[in-house]
Formats: sequence, structure tokens, C-alpha cells
Amino acid sequence: MDQSALINSSALTTTSTETRTAEEQAAPPVTPADRVLTVCLAGVPNAGKTALMNGLTGGGFHTANYPGVTVTISRGKSRAELGAEISFVDLPGVHSTVAPTIEEELSCSVIEGRHDSIHPDALIIVVDATQLERHLKFAAFVARQGKPVVVALTMMDLLAKSGQTINSKKLSEALGVAVVPVDGRTGWGVGELMTALRERLTNPFITAAVLAEIPDEPVEAYRRLRAILDASGAVKKSRPLMLAENSLTARIDKVVLHRYAGLPIFFIILGGLFASIFWLAQPFMDFIEWLFKEAGALTLAVLPEGILARFIAEGIIGGVGAVAVFFPQILILFFLMTLLEDSGYLSRGAALVDRPLSALGLHGRSFVPMLSGFACAIPAVLAARTIPSKRERLLTIWIIPLMSCSARLPVYALLLAALLPGAVGKAGLALACIYLASLLTGSLTAGIIGKLFIRKKSDSMLAMEMPLYRRPLIKPTLKITWSRASAYLKRAGAPIIIISSILWMLSNFGLGAQQPKREDGTSAAFITASDLDHSFAAQLGQSLEPVLRPMAVDWRVGVGLISAFAAREVFVSTMAIVFHVADENNEQAQQAGLLDTMREATFANSSQRVFTPSSIIGLMVFFFFSLQCLSTVSVVRAETNSWKMAGLQLLFYTGLGYLLSVAVVQGLRVIGVA
Amino acid sequence: MKLLDAPINTCCRIERLDGPETECRRLLDLGLTPGEEMAVVQAVPFGDPLVVEVRGMRLALRRREAAWIRVL
Repeated sequence: MDQSALINSSALTTTSTETRTAEEQAAPPVTPADRVLTVCLAGVPNAGKTALMNGLTGGGFHTANYPGVTVTISRGKSRAELGAEISFVDLPGVHSTVAPTIEEELSCSVIEGRHDSIHPDALIIVVDATQLERHLKFAAFVARQGKPVVVALTMMDLLAKSGQTINSKKLSEALGVAVVPVDGRTGWGVGELMTALRERLTNPFITAAVLAEIPDEPVEAYRRLRAILDASGAVKKSRPLMLAENSLTARIDKVVLHRYAGLPIFFIILGGLFASIFWLAQPFMDFIEWLFKEAGALTLAVLPEGILARFIAEGIIGGVGAVAVFFPQILILFFLMTLLEDSGYLSRGAALVDRPLSALGLHGRSFVPMLSGFACAIPAVLAARTIPSKRERLLTIWIIPLMSCSARLPVYALLLAALLPGAVGKAGLALACIYLASLLTGSLTAGIIGKLFIRKKSDSMLAMEMPLYRRPLIKPTLKITWSRASAYLKRAGAPIIIISSILWMLSNFGLGAQQPKREDGTSAAFITASDLDHSFAAQLGQSLEPVLRPMAVDWRVGVGLISAFAAREVFVSTMAIVFHVADENNEQAQQAGLLDTMREATFANSSQRVFTPSSIIGLMVFFFFSLQCLSTVSVVRAETNSWKMAGLQLLFYTGLGYLLSVAVVQGLRVIGVA
Repeated sequence: MKLLDAPINTCCRIERLDGPETECRRLLDLGLTPGEEMAVVQAVPFGDPLVVEVRGMRLALRRREAAWIRVL
């Protein structure tokens, strides 16, 4: 009796709980119309999430930065023709929920409902139709969290090519969850996906029952999944066979991963990438430079003459121009990288160099950040997120500032022209050597730091999927490139503009007490508009003279070096300002080019030249090592979530640059080079 | 036998994974479960990593990772 009563009561309790849960779910099935729903896209890397995001939002998504974990997530609004607005969030891909990378951890925290600021109302699980079992295993993890889910089935074109078919209706019935085939690149199926999503959001009684019951334990999970797939009859050839010997992927891999030809092909592709970054971008860069110069001149002409007009023309427009001029390079780099990524080659590249890079304490995946570092350190530091082990990721970030970024290019161009007048060929060769040297120095630094501080042998994993080759589509690639590049511009732009404004003020204002007496005998205000000779920057430069002397340069170069912390290329424009202003009374010098002026420049009260072969080489050594880029410092801080690494990097590289520069200058002088 | 000793381009069946727990779990999550068929397709320059195929997917595995895999 007692026992049956007990069972009864427990049964009752269970029933009432169930009812309550159902009521809770039924009461507010959809949130009020005034709140925009948040839907997250989750999936295994290479599932086609970014392409689907593109199809859902029309490419209008932007990359947002979340403090705390500081990992980039894309957010975007649904396209207008898809009905009531939904906010989509593209989560980083997850390979495994065990020992996750920081990207994976972020995605898991959102999916499991542990994230502070992203609380999805529903999730779209993106599943690669050619990798059904593995992707459905991850889908089960998402479904287990109890949030409304729908499955978007991608790569249907590749599936068809391999002679397989999937019946999405049968699959949907077997898994107990809506399954919609889509192609985010062309927009095919996106409307149906939205319909399924809205249906799921308004009907709380649909549950992904079968999918959610699949356990986390992989052996059992895969066994159950295969049983479900086999029983459903949804999949023709449910057991994926090996790729055929004559399949496109097998044939391409035979060549690009070839024992002897693999590496030469890799370097040819990289060489082509670099050549395009520099040569394709050049006309656009010239145009942007011209545009900002004209805009500055126009501002000076239109606005009433005075300090404000000059601030807007030189400080603001000049500052924006300094960033904008590199935009074509960044755009081309991102475009080609997206193209390589979409085609499937990028992961082959990472596999090719994994052995040498891991010998240095890095990882095969370090190659993408290192490559980006040659254009700009900022996207490079961000790209290091895909490196699984923290140690290897930090080591990669540590050496990125050594990669010869494009901001150094105008500096080297100016200094090489001063060093080797008229010898364009030699200067080009020297430049190529500088690039190669920066790669070697980076590798060496990684090796030394890896040996000194990371004695334990690396225990990280590669186990990297190499997706099937696929012809990239140009239009979606362009859209993705644009959203990535504009995110970069926003991120890097603000600090550069602020810093260049501050530097402009430092070089155009000075302490009243330092200014020459006015003609009428009155002294200037405490802080006053000033010429460069008497500005704060000059004072700073002059107070640095004892430090600059061993480098065999004077305070004017010092001002250039300080201003280069806004962005390295600012050095060139600052040199133009300091040397022209200093010789303002000399009409001849003003007319002569900057190079001639620099060549003629001497130390104050002396006939000794400032720019001699030794001091120019010393300056190049300084620029080679020194971390003169506060934007990089701020990005490293954000990415490592501490000032320690960013500060150490700044001090280490700038200190090293200075010491080596002094050593080189003094060494050259000893062996008789002036 | 070890996967490393298996001839290239020959289908073998995974017997078990014999290596560090977390790392093996990641391999299992990738679908390298016992009973599954897999093959070493080719080796890249330096002979490391190996390109393997499992569940219709190509995977780059370091020799160190491949050494944990026992096949029949």
C-alpha cells in the first residue's frame, strides 16, 4: 500500500512538474513584438556559417568585440524581405567541447547559456551535408541545451557532386528537428529556413527530442547517430566512403602537398599574394594620398586662416589620411585571404609549414597571422585566435610585430633612397632582404623564447580538417571582405586619429615661457600656438638628445621617431615638416625635395651631417625592431586581456631596436663608415 | 598495429586510441571512433603531418597524434 502510494505521489509530482514546464513554455512562446529576437548561428568550423550569415543579413553584418573574453563575434540584422527583424549572431566554429580554444569556449558559453551578454532565443545549427555524422554530433550538443533549434543543411552542391543525396524531410522526421537545405552564398533556401525558424519560435511544443537524446560520449554518440541515419532512409550512401582517387580534392592535394613540389608551390602562392598586395594597391594608395592632400588644401583655403583650420587640415584630415592610405592593401589582403580560405587551400598551407613552425614552438596555424603581419599587425593579432594552445598563440602574437608591416614600407623607401641615391635596383634588392630578414628574425625570436621560457615540449594538437576544394564565389567573398576590412578600419582608425591629433597639438603648441618675445614686448600665454622649434614636441625631442646622440641623429629625427608611435609612416610626413620648417627662411631649401634637405641637414652649431650612411642604417635597424605602433599595443592588450604582454612587447622591441641601432651605428663608425 | 605502420592508401579499421586522455577525446569527437574505417592518404613535405581520411573527411594529423591510433 505504502509503496504504491509513494509511486503514485511521485508520479503525480512528475506530472505536475511536466505540466508546469509546458505551461511556462506555452505562456510566453514568443517574446513581445517590441523586442528584437536574437538567433545564434552555431556549427563546426567550415560548416558555412559565415556564408549563411551573409545570406541571412545581406552582408550587412559587422564584427563586434565583447569585453571580458574579447573575441570577435559577427552580428547582423535580418534582410528586410525576410519579415520581422531578427538579430543574428555568428558564433565561432567549434571542433570539440573538450579543451576548447578561446573561440570555442566563447561559442560554448553562449550555447550553454553561460554568456553574460548574448542570450539567444533560438539557434540555427549549421550542418555540412557532406560531413553529416560529425556535424550532427555537434548539433546534438546544441539541442541538449533545450533552446529552440533548427538545422540548416549546407554544402548540398558538393554532396550532389559526390553522388550522394539527402532527403531533408525524412532527416527532419528522424531527428525531430526542422532540417532546411540552404546555400548562403546564393540565398537558396534562406526563406524556407526563416519560415522554419519562425514556426519553431511560435510553437513551443516542437522539441528536438531524438537529437537531444544523443549522448556526449563520442563512441556511443556516433553509434546512435549512424543507427538513426540508417533507419531513417534519408541518406543514400549513409556511410561516407573514402574520397575517390580521381576526385578533385584528391587530385589537387596530390600536387599541392607533394613531397617535393608542395613547398615551392606554397612559396609561389605566397609570393603572388605579396606581389598583388603591393602592386595592385599602389594606384589606389596614390589616389587616396592625393585625395587627402587636396582635401587638406581645400580646408585651408575655405576656412578662415588660423589654428583651427590647420588643426582640421593637418591634424584630423592628415590623421585620417594616414590610416586610409593603407586601406587598399588591407582590403586586397583580406580579399585574397578570404579567397584562399574559401577555396580550402589555407588549411593545406598550415599543414605544410606545421613541422618547421612547431619546431620553433609555434603551430601550423601561426602561418596565417604571420602572413597577415606583413600587411598589418592588427588583423594579424586577431587572426592568432584560431591557434589552439594558449602558449603557441601568445608566442605567435609575440613575434607578429617583427613582421615587416606595410607601415614600415614608406619609411624604408625614404631611408633607402637617402642611403642609395639613384640606385633603384639596389634599393629594391635591399628591401627584399629586409622582408626576408624580418621573417627570419621572427622565427629566430620564437625559437629562442620558446627554448628559454617554454622548455616543455609542445603538447598541442594539429588534427586539422582539410575541407574539400571548392570554387569560391566572387560576390559573397567581396561582401565578407568588406565587412572584415571595415571592422578593421573602425578598430584601428579611432586610436590613430586620436594619437595623431595629440601629436599635432604637441608639435604646434608650446609653453609660453619657451616662446621668443613678441615684437611688442608682451610675453605669450602659458600655453600658446607655436612653431615647431619651440613646441612641446621640440622640447621633448631636445630633452631626448642625450639618448639620440648614440644613434647619431638630432632632435628633429627624435620628433619623427616619437610621432611614428601614432603609425610608423607618420615618420615620413613628420620629417617633411621638421626639415622644411627648420629651413623656412631658406627658399632654396624649401624648393628642394625632402631628400636633398635631409642630405644637407647638419647638427645645430656644427657642420656634421645628420644623415650619413651609418645613421641611416641605424635608423632602419631601429624601425626593423621597434614596436612603434600604439594601435598594435592596444590590440595586443585587448586580445591577451592584460597590459603585461602588451607592455613587455613595447619595452622589449623598442629597447632592442634602440640598443641594436646604437650598436650598429657605433660599430660602423669603428670600421670607418661615416 | 599502429596506423603509422599501415601502408599508404589502404583502408584500415580503427581498433582503439592509445594516448593522452584529453587529446584522444578530441580525436574521438572528430569521428576517429573504434570500428571506423580510415586510411593514410599521403604525407606532406618533411613527412609530417600525415593526410588521413575518415568519415569522408580529410584530416591533417601530426605523426605524434597518428601514433596513438591502433588499427586492425
